[in-house]
Amino acid sequence: MAEDLLVVEDVKKHFPVTRGIIFQKQVGAVKAVDGVSFTVKSGETLGIVGESGCGKSTLARCIMRLFDTTDGKIVFDGRDITKLSRANMRPIRREMMMIFQDPYASLNPRKRVGQIVGEALEVHKLGTASETKRRVQELLEVVGLNPEHYNRFPHEFSGGQRQRIGVARALAINPKLIVCDEPVSALDVSVQAQILNLLEDLQQDFGLTYIFIAHDLNVVRHISDRVLVMYLGKVVELAPKAELYDQPKHPYTGALLSAVPIADPERGRARQPIVLEGDVPSPLNPPSACNFHPRCPRFQAGHCDVVDPPLYPFGDGHIAACHYPLERWPLAADEFRKPAAGHPPAETETSAVS
Amino acid sequence: MALLEVNDLKTYFQTDDGIVKAVDGVSFSVEKGKTLGIVGESGSGKSVTCLTIMGLNSKKNTITSGEALFNGENLLTAGSRRLREIRGNDIAMIFQDPMTSLNPVHSIGAQLVEAVQLHRDVSKKVARARAVELLKAVGIPRAERRVDDYPHQFSGGMRQRVMIAMALVNDPDLLIADEPTTALDVTTQAQIMNLIKRLQDDFGSAIIVITHDLGVVAEAADDVLVMYAAEVAEQAPVEKLFNRPFHPYTWGLLGSLPRLDIEVERLVQIPGQPPSLLRPPSGCRFHPRCPYVMDKCKQVDPPLVAISDDSDHLQACHLDEETKDREAKKLLESTMAQAS
Repeated sequence: MAEDLLVVEDVKKHFPVTRGIIFQKQVGAVKAVDGVSFTVKSGETLGIVGESGCGKSTLARCIMRLFDTTDGKIVFDGRDITKLSRANMRPIRREMMMIFQDPYASLNPRKRVGQIVGEALEVHKLGTASETKRRVQELLEVVGLNPEHYNRFPHEFSGGQRQRIGVARALAINPKLIVCDEPVSALDVSVQAQILNLLEDLQQDFGLTYIFIAHDLNVVRHISDRVLVMYLGKVVELAPKAELYDQPKHPYTGALLSAVPIADPERGRARQPIVLEGDVPSPLNPPSACNFHPRCPRFQAGHCDVVDPPLYPFGDGHIAACHYPLERWPLAADEFRKPAAGHPPAETETSAVS
Repeated sequence: MALLEVNDLKTYFQTDDGIVKAVDGVSFSVEKGKTLGIVGESGSGKSVTCLTIMGLNSKKNTITSGEALFNGENLLTAGSRRLREIRGNDIAMIFQDPMTSLNPVHSIGAQLVEAVQLHRDVSKKVARARAVELLKAVGIPRAERRVDDYPHQFSGGMRQRVMIAMALVNDPDLLIADEPTTALDVTTQAQIMNLIKRLQDDFGSAIIVITHDLGVVAEAADDVLVMYAAEVAEQAPVEKLFNRPFHPYTWGLLGSLPRLDIEVERLVQIPGQPPSLLRPPSGCRFHPRCPYVMDKCKQVDPPLVAISDDSDHLQACHLDEETKDREAKKLLESTMAQAS
């Protein structure tokens, strides 16, 4: 069994909301990430999905230590990095890199491609100038760009090519973990397929581990081994890919899956989408207990709004935070509304996080 | 007679680098109560086609030709005053980005009232009542109070609803939605698409949906136009397009799409990039990226013609129909085999 490369334990990130100019008084906190735990095994791809504002990107930045966490523990490669100082963090930064969403904003327009890709090598003092140049040209070739484009500026490239530059930059120092924050959502489908294939090839060739954040459930299904679903800063479901897409347990996962349009007119129109009402509530003032209850079609008054559901295990590393999980899938729209008569609430036992 | 009939529409932009042929000979028609989906990658000319029909291109550097007959009236030669009467009244448009297409310094109500009063001689009170009624129709809770709110007080999905309310204010015959859900989350996208469908049933409007999402097209459109590099590559009723795709570009699009209901080992990728419209490739514009390229493709631009046994299904490709039928079947079988 592969070892755990990254262990995230009960991580919280609360942003304080203050009032007053001189004497700033904290009047509340935006609970962007509120108690998230999971592990990532070496060599696997963990997909993270959720709507905008659910805390996916904040979580990624906490893992990368770009934000300090409010609470919790992050263990990377057997070492607790939660409280490491900047200097102690530096060698560990060689092991983890990030690919960003917007290929237009994440490359410095005033630097040449060679400088952008080689910057990490310089920072970590890996090799002389000529060695760096050779390495950069090698990397450009690996990601499918022409090594002669070494001296060009980012504006000379299309969106897909820029994202390849972003991938080359992430690869430069042979990291173990790459956190991809919506790497393909700004790209056209044909270019998106190119980048997804490239990421898969690189994973095989270099044994990379990915955390892949996206809001597109099609893309996440394609690339991930396991998928984590987030809602308002909390984990609602975590399962191996096939389990999650074929047997979702949490009503929110079910609603997300049924909302994705299917590129097949007959099948797409035959199914009955579960349309969630309203918007994601404000994380400043989240609903009580299960924070999905105001939008949940299976909401049971007196239970869901009083008792916060723990992550119940469903076997095979499948966990979901719901008192009334879905019995089967797909469900017809009217079945979805209420748990089946006599359907017992899930037993209360302490959650086992695999 | 079709509600909107576009014939051989061309839009060329003069730039410092030369002439950009943004739309190059596009023809289609939309019937009342039907939905036309236009798909294609960025820069394929989807949006410019619709902006040209609406007369929204800058006059200065644009050369347009062809005709766009709306109820028999050619919009391309109509005067700007006449166009202003039509826009927002008979034809309305929903833009992609709900964050930038509302005016941030006016309340939602004021913007809706303006849209009503521009086209109808009614008092402010009546116009306001109409605004509230529409906000209710698009599902905004507490519409009587929210009508006085400003755009920043609404979420992305709510703003898109306001945009739709504004488009529907004068019961348009034709609604053009330019990537109406691209900026939204899937759950909100489902809400908005449901809303558009419901409103079409209620008002009987025709709709043109511009999108790059084949899933949205499959679920919402009756007819589909696939555009590539300013030209139409394939045009067919939606079931035919998905069940018997007949153009290598359409195959590429379908193959490169990761799907929720199907487990694909590896995505089929279309090599290369979409071409520059300043200097489009000779012959068929798809030929540098096409795996089936022949010598003929490099010289002769294939015309858009009906396939021999189906007059509704148009495609622009030199490849013989036998090969295409075989390849289309192969593509479908491979996806069907993987579908659970």
